[in-house]
Amino acid sequence: MNKTLWRTLLASCAIVSLGGAALAADFDYGKFDGYTLKVKLIGGTQYEKLYTRIPEWEALTGAKVEIVSSKNHFDLDREIKQDIASGSITWCVGSNHTSFAPQYGDLYVDLKEFISQEELDKYVPGTLSSAMVDWPAWCSCRRVTDVSNLYYRKSLYEDPAKQAAYKEKFGTDLAPPKTFDEFKQQVIFFADPPNLYGTAFAGKDEGMSGRFMEILRANGGDIFDENWKPIFNSEAGVAAVQWFKDIYDAKAVPAGTVNYTWDDIGQAMAAGQLAIDLDWPGFAGFYSDPSASKIAGELGFATAPVGTSGKRGGWSGSHSFSVTQECDNKPAAASFAVFLTNDESAMMEAQAGNLPTRTATYPAVKEWFKANNKEFMVEMFSAWEASLSEARTPPLVAQWIEVSNVIWPAVQAAIVGEKTPQDALDGAVAEATVIMQDAGLLQ
Amino acid sequence: MSFFRSPRATPYLLLLPAILVILAVVLVPLLVSFWTSFTGYNLTKPATLFQFVGLRNYQRLLGNEDFWWAFGRTIVFITVVLNLEMVLGLGLALLINKVTWGQRTLRTIMMFPMMFSPILVGFQFKYLFNDAVGLVNNALFDLGIIDAPIPWLVDGTLAPITIALAEIWMSTSVFAILLLAGLMALPKEPIEAAKVDGCNPIQVFRHITLPFLMPFVYIAMTIRSLDVARAYDMVRIMTNGGPAGRTELLWTLMTRTGYNNSQMGMANAMGYISILLSIVFTFYFYRKLIAARTFMGGAQ
Repeated sequence: MNKTLWRTLLASCAIVSLGGAALAADFDYGKFDGYTLKVKLIGGTQYEKLYTRIPEWEALTGAKVEIVSSKNHFDLDREIKQDIASGSITWCVGSNHTSFAPQYGDLYVDLKEFISQEELDKYVPGTLSSAMVDWPAWCSCRRVTDVSNLYYRKSLYEDPAKQAAYKEKFGTDLAPPKTFDEFKQQVIFFADPPNLYGTAFAGKDEGMSGRFMEILRANGGDIFDENWKPIFNSEAGVAAVQWFKDIYDAKAVPAGTVNYTWDDIGQAMAAGQLAIDLDWPGFAGFYSDPSASKIAGELGFATAPVGTSGKRGGWSGSHSFSVTQECDNKPAAASFAVFLTNDESAMMEAQAGNLPTRTATYPAVKEWFKANNKEFMVEMFSAWEASLSEARTPPLVAQWIEVSNVIWPAVQAAIVGEKTPQDALDGAVAEATVIMQDAGLLQ
Repeated sequence: MSFFRSPRATPYLLLLPAILVILAVVLVPLLVSFWTSFTGYNLTKPATLFQFVGLRNYQRLLGNEDFWWAFGRTIVFITVVLNLEMVLGLGLALLINKVTWGQRTLRTIMMFPMMFSPILVGFQFKYLFNDAVGLVNNALFDLGIIDAPIPWLVDGTLAPITIALAEIWMSTSVFAILLLAGLMALPKEPIEAAKVDGCNPIQVFRHITLPFLMPFVYIAMTIRSLDVARAYDMVRIMTNGGPAGRTELLWTLMTRTGYNNSQMGMANAMGYISILLSIVFTFYFYRKLIAARTFMGGAQ
């Protein structure tokens, strides 16, 4: 009781001091009395809690915020493209994401002009590489970071019968997989369809391309070479596709996984239908909520496996806020973007299980979880934080989504057996090469 | 100038505002989109609207295997769906036409599927036919009919059938309502005369009811062929054209090209080629409609 009380007090002090420091000393949020800031924000339950802080920013600055659009990122992306096409950028701040941002050309300003280096240094470095085209390095204030790691069900790994059977079959102890080969071996071992599948993967859209890219990189390959030449039909790429095909053919994943997106996987894992899930941190809160998840009491966390190169693919991306070039009050917009990503905001996001983008939030939120008897979330944060050093975004080039849209149907075709992995990837590389040539990035 | 002051000009002057509005909202976008099909227009780079590339988009499409597969699949999809909807709609209309008590209620109930948005129907069927948690597989398991889940939305044959089923479930009532209207307008005298002459019910249906209904059938076919050729929402939700393009129709491909890939010039070129499909179907059904009306008028 006393221990808990002390931890709570300690965590509260940490939060107050963090918040106080952010608001009082470090950043001047400015005064914009009578100004109405128009914003387009990503919608959805897990994202909207942060927006309860908007009245605080309004009180602080005297400005008003008008949310002109609130949609999921795919719809928002479409709407933003239509705004660009019709030349009607009448809003100032937009939700952004690493995967989408490079497409928007010069839509957004470089925030370095409006935010001091001292403030920028408070964000976690290393989640973005420098290989960017037509995109300022600081076009957005990062909100939360995604990087994939493993969720697993402890009850399966602690089952003596399964431990013995695994040891007998493979000669090693049953423990969360350290390599993608082990991952494949274990999901096939656990699979008992239709009651239990080893895992599931997002089988279409960027989810499929991204996971392929992650294993490809873990195997030592990459999507492009240094001259933007598509090279994902390499030996590493074929091995990555073969990995998906092997677990699909072994029925270790639901047959419908090639149509799954993140929500389908989340629902299946929470329903206790999967043994392991390689996924983003945002699901930690959902999986550990006893009212929504059957596996809440047995959730384990581990860092993502490594590939044949001994490295992690570390598929990563960041949700963020950007300020448009057309904005009539960029300082107000930048103030808003910083406010929604400052230490207090990051703390709010982290408490919901998201990976914060502010360095100071990591120790603070771990203390908060300890104080609130959520030791397993401390374990989760430790696992996810460890993998951030190897986090890599998709290629930061405007053509990524277009190239992604030739990759995933090809990988699907190989998985369901319509083409061999090599043929499928060769075809996709040929299409991707035309895309890069048309863009003038490749001769 | 004197023409505009004459009474002959009155209809044209009255129609002028409507014509101007139609020109603004239909013709101008049509011309712009037609122009963009000859450019490398990228949605996020407005300057590319003037990057003329001649016939490059069309040339690429001619050699694009994925596009022609989607084109062929769309033709098969339209043909199968329209015919099944017609048969089922005719059956429903004939049954409801026989009902003497509660017909209005039945007609209203029959229209319920049409009231759902295609997106909602897509979600319903996606859930029904989900291989892991879907109601259909669960029911088949419980009845002991299957011992392994059927991948309804994955299998190369079952996935298009499942999408067709959703489309048919939602829109059969369009046919049923139009054909029921035809049946209700059907004059009783020829039927009574045929019965007096000794025709059995099948002969009455074959030689009187059906020829009378054919204009209604072709009108429904024309409307629905244009709808089905633009099938998008439901396919987007259920499979998004996958897996491996097995359910890719023209509109899922065009939307991905235009919005996700931002290649609006190429997407519009696809659109103009696919318009040919709609023109062919519309032309065919109109010819059939005229033939059916001529037949009804006693020309044959």
